[in-house]
Amino acid sequence: MLSIQHISKQFGPVKALNDVSFEVPNGQILGLIGQNGAGKSTTFHSILNFIKYDGTISWQGHALSPADFDTIGYLPEERSLMTKLTIEQQIIYLARLKNQSAKDIRPQIDDWLGRFAVKGTRKSHINDLSKGNQQKVQLICTLIHHPKLLILDEPFSGLDPVNADLLKQAILRARDDGAAIIFSSHDMENVSALCDQLVMLRKGDMVLNGTLSEVRNQFGKTELYVTTDWSATRLATLPAVDHVEQRQPGQYRLHLTDPAAGPSIFAELTQGHYIEEFSQQPPTLDEIFRMKVGETNA
Amino acid sequence: MVIGPFLMIGLTVGISYVSANSASSSKQVAVISSSRSLRQAYLQQPTDNINAKITTTQAAEAAMKKNHLAGYLKLSESPQQVRADYHGSSRMASGLKAQTQNFLSQYQQTRNYQQAKLTTKQQRLMARTPVLQQHIAERAGTANLAKTISFWILVTMIYIILITYASIAAQEIASDKGTKIMEIIFSSTTATSYFVGKIGGILLVILTQIAIYLVGGWVAFQVAINNAALKPLITQNQSLIDAVLHNLLNLNLLYLFLGVIIYTILAAYSGAVVAKAEDASKAAQPVVMLGMFGFFATFPFQNNLDALLVKILSYVPFFSSYFMPMRIINGTVSGWEQAISLLILLVAIALFAGYIGSQYQRLMLQTDNRNFWQHLIHGWRRQS
Repeated sequence: MLSIQHISKQFGPVKALNDVSFEVPNGQILGLIGQNGAGKSTTFHSILNFIKYDGTISWQGHALSPADFDTIGYLPEERSLMTKLTIEQQIIYLARLKNQSAKDIRPQIDDWLGRFAVKGTRKSHINDLSKGNQQKVQLICTLIHHPKLLILDEPFSGLDPVNADLLKQAILRARDDGAAIIFSSHDMENVSALCDQLVMLRKGDMVLNGTLSEVRNQFGKTELYVTTDWSATRLATLPAVDHVEQRQPGQYRLHLTDPAAGPSIFAELTQGHYIEEFSQQPPTLDEIFRMKVGETNA
Repeated sequence: MVIGPFLMIGLTVGISYVSANSASSSKQVAVISSSRSLRQAYLQQPTDNINAKITTTQAAEAAMKKNHLAGYLKLSESPQQVRADYHGSSRMASGLKAQTQNFLSQYQQTRNYQQAKLTTKQQRLMARTPVLQQHIAERAGTANLAKTISFWILVTMIYIILITYASIAAQEIASDKGTKIMEIIFSSTTATSYFVGKIGGILLVILTQIAIYLVGGWVAFQVAINNAALKPLITQNQSLIDAVLHNLLNLNLLYLFLGVIIYTILAAYSGAVVAKAEDASKAAQPVVMLGMFGFFATFPFQNNLDALLVKILSYVPFFSSYFMPMRIINGTVSGWEQAISLLILLVAIALFAGYIGSQYQRLMLQTDNRNFWQHLIHGWRRQS
């Protein structure tokens, strides 16, 4: 388990992290969200001991040491490979730094290239690959040694939906193998699809922490999704409805000021008759993100 | 890069050979005379650059026009005097002039004796000449020449290897600065291990280059001693060659290697403290300047190795690699002094590598705009 307890980091006058605490148990995925400059990369750099910080970070009950390096897989935010090498040379070079033998890694390369649908062979030079394929090679380098702690900084950035799905499958496979995984993303859909837990940082402060449902439910079931022949104007007259947003013709999202108003709205809208859709939910992660960012900007 | 010096030597020898061949015919001089005995007497001398085939003035002038002949010497004699007239596009070569004057003097003297009708005793008395004898301690002369040659070979080798690899090391490391591949590497191994590995790799390349030079030099020497033209030259200078090799293949080779190591570490540090990867080309400048300073500082002291500054600098890391070999070659330093200087150099290398290794991760991952000195001061403050 990765345990982060009360870590803080100051860069000159800027407080990059302020008393941040969370845990990532083995076999679970934690999503780290936040605007640019919120402190996500600083958190990763602290875990990897790239920078000095106040607080405690432990892995499997002890401070992270060079002895643990072989069990870590790290994907930095910006991609960077040794462009003069071939795919095979690059993968083996980085795997050997993780104490893997070339003899063990070499036979796995074709399988990994196939799994990520890399356009190129093991003998292709990194320089000759497209940006997307370079990114996939870097992902292979991060995963090929079967890390127990996986740190992925914006892993989906630049990937098309098909390749993003390939990455999701790889992350889920690593989770099933028992790895503790922490990743940052701006794409709330990916975070919702993958994460067991969620932490949101805002200007170094931790503003959200919990499982996905815990985080969503703490905002109350303020979103009502209905399909009806009522007009938006008429829907707005319903009790506790703050505003109405039309999703599709006949499909609306009603934002409620009081989640307790749900049953009375249901009664008034249906009048005891069948209704195609009536779903009261907490805000989506995307909405929560915008809401939390909006709090700062307000 | 490694075979560069061999190519340069090959090119120089080739050009010199072609140039010498093409120039040799135009340096020749013909000897013309209406007196067959006078001409034969002249040609019997051991002379270089004489074209004996041309016997007439017309043929000589025609050859000169075609630039096949430097000139011709016209010998003539009257009952009283022997005479030589040189016709050429430039003045006679000094060697040929001295030789011709010598020949004319002897020939004239012989004729003078004959015409004076001197007795044998008188002729013997007249033939007496003063004695000029040079007494040269040949061994000391050779040793001094060997020292000079050894000194130049050694400092030039240190300088060239140092400048080349300092630039490579600094640029290599500076170009990695701030790149994300460094983050991946530092999440896999310690910065110190990576730094030591990087320096070790560069040093193995340098060792390979030195080994290639040694093997290349040995092969060239074997070729030379089996070459009919060069063998006499080598035999004649065997003691000089042995002395130079003795001066180079001893502790000085270790000084060369350790000197290159400490400069390479400094170059790596310079590479690591540049503000950004784009500044890689500037990274080697401080090291190159220091190396040049050490190289040129040796010049004024070549013949003044007892100077206090030389003694001090032969213990100071970065300079001892230049100055101690000078003293070793000259034989003015004891074994203890060599050992102390070597120990200081080794300790300095270990401390320097340890310090930079400990700072390496911070230096490589940060991308602020602090300059060399600010980084250095910041590093020291963090240490204390």
